[in-house]
Amino acid sequence: MEAPALSLPDVDAASVISFPDGLVGCGDWKHFVLLTSDEEDLPVGVLQCIDEPAVRFMVTDPRLVDSSYSPSISLEDQLALGLAPDARPVIYCTLTIASDGSITANLLGPLAINERTRQARQLVLADGDYSARHPVGQVG
Amino acid sequence: MLVLSRRPEQSFRLGDDIIVTVLGIDGDRVKLGIRAPRDVVVLRQELFQELHDANSDAASNTPASTEVVAAALRRATGKVPSENSSEIAVVGA
Repeated sequence: MEAPALSLPDVDAASVISFPDGLVGCGDWKHFVLLTSDEEDLPVGVLQCIDEPAVRFMVTDPRLVDSSYSPSISLEDQLALGLAPDARPVIYCTLTIASDGSITANLLGPLAINERTRQARQLVLADGDYSARHPVGQVG
Repeated sequence: MLVLSRRPEQSFRLGDDIIVTVLGIDGDRVKLGIRAPRDVVVLRQELFQELHDANSDAASNTPASTEVVAAALRRATGKVPSENSSEIAVVGA
């Protein structure tokens, strides 16, 4: 397995994160663990699917990609996540690395995690002007 | 695929809990009203497809170490991770 741990804020790496509805179009991908690096403050993590070992997402804090990123959480999403009225979820976005080394971030469908319950959901920010493939530079 | 025709203001049901109503027709656009329980996700097909494809691609990435990706992120954005959290607004329906 590749470079494991990343140090991401707020979520305990040892706990399973559950997506009751899976991800959009991938309803079977429900259980994940967050793998974090030994290297401190590394802003990129790996969300490893337990149901499907070949499925692993590289994730980061979307505010590193877009500092003004501040998605509104709909009431439906708030209820689905079991969030208390004034609680905020932890928000990650997945990163895709294409074969040419270009990196894109999915800002249209971020992953919201209820820290308290470890329940998660992929949000769909249909009303914003966000891209599922927001360019973020190049590997190498 | 089940095919049915509706005039404006006519409806059809999906299961027990979902009602779709044709609200009107404007040129080549049909306006639909959807009444569904809170936990039913209604998504435009294009949006669904876009996210499904992005999820699929993200899940089966070209291998790269997290350190390498983090370095690329820093280069691209000039940002260093900080402890500060920005507010995430919660809005009512």
